[in-house]
Amino acid sequence: MIRLLGLQPTYNPGDPIDFEYRVVHVDHGAIVAVEASVVWVTEGKGSEDLGVHFFQRLTGNSLAAIDWSIAQKVQCPLPLSPLSYEGKLLKISWCVRVRFYFSDGTELMAQQPFYLGSLTREV
Amino acid sequence: MSGWWFIGSLGEALFFAGFFLLGVFLSTTLIAWQLMSPSTQLIRIGYGFWLFLGVCLSFVVIGTVGFWYRVLKVVTSDEHREVLAHRGIVPEPMIRKTKSILPPTVPELGLYTDSPGARLAFRLPSQIPENGALLAMGVFAMAWNAMIAVFLVIAVENMLRSRIPYYLLLVLIPGVYVAVRSAQLFFRSFVRTLGIGSTTVEIEDLPLVPGSDYGVEVVQYGRLVIKKMTVRLVCEEESTYHFGTDVRTERETVFSQVIATHGRDRIDWGYPLRLECRCTIPRDAMHSFQSMHNAIHWKIIVDGEANRWPSYSRSFPVVVYPQSRTSRSTVAS
Repeated sequence: MIRLLGLQPTYNPGDPIDFEYRVVHVDHGAIVAVEASVVWVTEGKGSEDLGVHFFQRLTGNSLAAIDWSIAQKVQCPLPLSPLSYEGKLLKISWCVRVRFYFSDGTELMAQQPFYLGSLTREV
Repeated sequence: MSGWWFIGSLGEALFFAGFFLLGVFLSTTLIAWQLMSPSTQLIRIGYGFWLFLGVCLSFVVIGTVGFWYRVLKVVTSDEHREVLAHRGIVPEPMIRKTKSILPPTVPELGLYTDSPGARLAFRLPSQIPENGALLAMGVFAMAWNAMIAVFLVIAVENMLRSRIPYYLLLVLIPGVYVAVRSAQLFFRSFVRTLGIGSTTVEIEDLPLVPGSDYGVEVVQYGRLVIKKMTVRLVCEEESTYHFGTDVRTERETVFSQVIATHGRDRIDWGYPLRLECRCTIPRDAMHSFQSMHNAIHWKIIVDGEANRWPSYSRSFPVVVYPQSRTSRSTVAS
């Protein structure tokens, strides 16, 4: 589960984004890696592009030290661009994405979209 | 620039094209004669032969260089030198402050700011698709004509020895037609480029920021009667995608605003048409964006309709930065 700590899921360029994530109902000992990222993706007519703004991967000792009974908090400053955009041919979306990798090879992914900037249409 | 510039440019291009063909003809004749009929050779291999061959090849080189120099000079416009000459008096653009905080996925400014304007801060680079077509047509016409010239020399040489090369003649008849047509098409496009003349657009600042307005100057050179000229600020989305084995690109204009129009007017050499206008980037506009397969382009488009010439449209890309606290403070400063 991912939770944005801001009051609204809308951020200004350059603002910090705070979010927390936690995982429940799984065997915590089976988690072998966790990846938390802040990304933008393009959707629409063209091939999908992905940009990673923030990326954190936890494995080994750093993962073992985590107490999963409390949510893991992450903060990072957002960039100036690209702003969230909904155009005619393409859409640019931002999201926080967390992936859990388990020892049996399975993967659990969750993402929480947010809006960067205040554009609501193509222009 | 005199009124004879039009005829002069065309004449020079024709002269150098002729020089090139003469060089090809002479050098091919000399070599072909030497190889195919050594007993009746005009010039024996020696000092005179190599000197004559050197002169012939120099015709080819001079013709090629002169021809392309003249064509490229027209395509890239002479005014560029004037712009560079005025570099010293150009106002200092507000670029250094913003360059250090270049937003990600926004195109680099370097391409747009390396050409200072004569009256305003920057002269925008142009995207004129006809220029690429003109160059391609020129290269094809030159290569094809050179090839046909060689075949022609071989055919004539055979006929002089009372042997009619039927197969070669069969190839030559359509070949000569293509050569003439390609040269004709090239010179027609060249004349059109010469006649309409170049278009330059200068802008008072870059990058552009939503909510701000900027002075723009459009200058149309040439010698023609303009029926109508329109200057537009345009935002265009561009998406590239795979369709089977093809890669396709789709474009969609999402914003178009007329920033200046001009009615019927006469333009002459030395008296270009100057349009001064202002363009405002909407406050809620999306910034320029460039990723691997998707892009958002902002551009200033100049559309013109002229007497005796086909309508034309010339595009001048600009960069719009996102409106942020940083860019707002930069603009305010």
